[in-house]
Amino acid sequence: MNEPDRKKTSHKPLLTLNSIAKAFGGVQALWNISFDLKEGMVQALIGPNGAGKTTLFNLITGIFTPDSGEILFDGRPIGGKKVYDLVQVGIARTFQNVELFGSMTALENVMVGQHVRTRCGFWSAVTRTPWMVKEETASRKKALKIMAFVGIDHLANRRSSELSFGWQRLLEIARALSSSPRLLLLDEPAAGLNTVETRQLGTLLKKIQAQGITLLLVEHDMGLIMDISNRIVVLDQGEKIAEGTPREVQSNEAVMSAYLGRSEH
Amino acid sequence: MLKFLNRDRLSYAVFFIAIAIIGLSVENYYYVQLLTFIGINTILALGLNMLMGYAGQISLGHAAFYGLGAYTTAVLTVHYGFSPWLALPCAILLSMLVAFLVGLPTLKLSGYYLGMGTLGFGMIVHIVFREWSSMTGGSSGFIGIPPLEIGPVSFSQIRNFFYLVWLTVLISFIVSKRLIHSRIGRALRAIHDSENAARAMGINTRNMKLEIFVFSAGLSALAGFFYAHLVSFISPGTFSFIVSIKIVTMVVIGGMASVWGSLLGASLLTMLPEWLHAFSEFEMVVYGLILMLVMVLLPQGLTRGLLDIYERTRSKKDQP
Amino acid sequence: MLQELLQYLFSGITNGAIYGVIAVGFSMLYSSTELINFAHGEFVMLGALGLVSLWGGLGIPLPVAFLLVVIGVAVVGFLFERLAIRTVRKPNPIVLVIITVGASIFLRGIGMLTWGKDAYSVPPFSDHDPIDLAGAKLLSQSIWIVGIALFFVILLHLFFKKTLTGKAMIACAISKKAAWLTGIPSERMVLLAFFLSTGMGAVAGIIIAPITMCSYDMGTMLGLKGFCAAMLGGLGSLWGSILGGFILGILESLGVGFFSSSMKDAIAFFLLLLILYVRPGGIIMAKDIKRF
Repeated sequence: MNEPDRKKTSHKPLLTLNSIAKAFGGVQALWNISFDLKEGMVQALIGPNGAGKTTLFNLITGIFTPDSGEILFDGRPIGGKKVYDLVQVGIARTFQNVELFGSMTALENVMVGQHVRTRCGFWSAVTRTPWMVKEETASRKKALKIMAFVGIDHLANRRSSELSFGWQRLLEIARALSSSPRLLLLDEPAAGLNTVETRQLGTLLKKIQAQGITLLLVEHDMGLIMDISNRIVVLDQGEKIAEGTPREVQSNEAVMSAYLGRSEH
Repeated sequence: MLKFLNRDRLSYAVFFIAIAIIGLSVENYYYVQLLTFIGINTILALGLNMLMGYAGQISLGHAAFYGLGAYTTAVLTVHYGFSPWLALPCAILLSMLVAFLVGLPTLKLSGYYLGMGTLGFGMIVHIVFREWSSMTGGSSGFIGIPPLEIGPVSFSQIRNFFYLVWLTVLISFIVSKRLIHSRIGRALRAIHDSENAARAMGINTRNMKLEIFVFSAGLSALAGFFYAHLVSFISPGTFSFIVSIKIVTMVVIGGMASVWGSLLGASLLTMLPEWLHAFSEFEMVVYGLILMLVMVLLPQGLTRGLLDIYERTRSKKDQP
Repeated sequence: MLQELLQYLFSGITNGAIYGVIAVGFSMLYSSTELINFAHGEFVMLGALGLVSLWGGLGIPLPVAFLLVVIGVAVVGFLFERLAIRTVRKPNPIVLVIITVGASIFLRGIGMLTWGKDAYSVPPFSDHDPIDLAGAKLLSQSIWIVGIALFFVILLHLFFKKTLTGKAMIACAISKKAAWLTGIPSERMVLLAFFLSTGMGAVAGIIIAPITMCSYDMGTMLGLKGFCAAMLGGLGSLWGSILGGFILGILESLGVGFFSSSMKDAIAFFLLLLILYVRPGGIIMAKDIKRF
């Protein structure tokens, strides 16, 4: 158990946050957040409601720009980059409330995920040049392969809005994976799933990790977090109050009081 | 996918044969001309449908691009003696350039605000057509636009013009279908469904919207080119706000995000006023009523609406 | 020079008051229903031609005719909401836009059937001599127009601020769901918004009637200008709309006076684009700005 962990810690950090701060109006949503995310790890971001998890998520995915501090991806600063540029760099995400392209088939959804990895433009789409046809076929094949990996290839031609919520979750993960990310951010991937589905999700996330993709997830389901994450960062009221392995975090007093203290009120 | 392609190709073939049969069999000059107008309006509606139906961006000023196409070819052929075939690319490129420049700030807006921005643009262009008399003939119009011809084939023959327009419609269909079923088309539909998610998938939504806006303007200018050379007379009224709205109506009534819906919508809205002549002074009242009724009863447009009704009756039959 | 400037200013303020009243109608409807009513201009037309018939034609005393026309037009607006707008099952902005466009064509048709294609005019509300100010002439009708416009806007302001129904309407505009939860009948509020909005349209039509030629097709341009004014001031804001109207009216009149009359209509739309690009919420920032 310790052996692979130590091997992973020898990896260089894929994502680095250096004293990030963000305020909305007069409200300090995040203050002085720093942590490293090492390549190949599964890291969880937890904290009570209003701790700033979503804000932090939106900062990493480029929706907001930090007021101060820097975010490094693979050693290069990405703070302030456009959302769509970050996908090119290798950061993909899923949404808390599942945002699929409802009028398109599941397969097409996954193919959209490859947008930044394919090149076909207006002109080649119209002229259907041989390389465009080849790219299209390859893209379709890759999409199907990813869907099979996630376990939803039998739904390829169904309209995505018709799928059950559990399938939609998986489809969203497949869509994110098809952009060939190095870092995958998952916003409460277990929300709305039942226990069986959550367990399956855990297995899938481990499979994704085994592919060498780094995962950062915001999650409330402690069972899932303890099961799959290598490291946990705990936020409370916009500040980082603890960081460590699941076991360390579990026995951390600040964490206990943040969670239990709040719920006793 | 292969099967899908074949079905598309089959429909193109049927379409092609239909054009040939109609062209050969319809004798009445008036009907051939009406059908040609339907073709021109189909190109217009298709252009807007690509923008509105697929990418989900409303434009209430598309008559401006239609007009730019028509006036550019009129000015170039009459004032500067250009051949119409040389004026054609100029008209399309100018229209696309204007779309690009206008689209840069305007497409940042969304929803009603985008509608209003395009409306304002359309009105300004219309006023320019009306007031720049030395160039456009002002509100009395522009006369004497030469007919089209290629070598010995003259398109002042309405039947030839009919073929020319409808072959262009066919090509526009193929081009649009190809676009829709490509990486670009998927990105556009993604923007339509969820702009947030589209951006999170790495789609540069701003550029993509701009590209389809420019494409759409190009198709509209093409329609304007045909109109000018078919009628040989243009006036600002043909490119007014009402016309912009009419194009939107064609798209919505026919069915958004449906290439064939554009054909249906353009056909209906071109023929409707002809039928309504029978109502003489009640024409406007009836036209307004029909517009409201269709939207109240079939807000999805006719293509989708009728399909839904068909599916419902069929499923009723299936489960007696 | 001063005399000219003053003259343009007078006519600008007069037109501005009318644009303002039309804009208020747009704004009110938008803030409580999120609907842009493209038929709004036709209600202005109905107001003007209604006055032509009742006052000019039948000789009904002006205040009575005024009231009858406003109520009559508002009832048409009421019916429009009941029969067309509410019946839409899935209200999608584009569909609603087309329905209001259909309504505008329909109403224009009705106008043509009722009044024909002729243009009418009515005398000013009172036949006082123009007031002379530094050589510029201020027409009595201008005073009527500005006075009546301000009167109605203040009336509306008091309605929204002082009465329970008015406050309920504002609550509905802010959040339909929350208003519904507190027991405000939001459907009735929408109906009321239509009633008031089209009534304001009629007021605009009535006060403009003596200074313009009234015909069945006068509404479209007036409606669009009023719309520009509403955007300029801030769609959804009462005082913003009236302010937008005055700014538009004055700039238009100065533009016509000092540059050229041919571009008169373009000024409104240039201002519309400018405000959309620079400050889409309008001069008085309205609540939600649909811009990324």
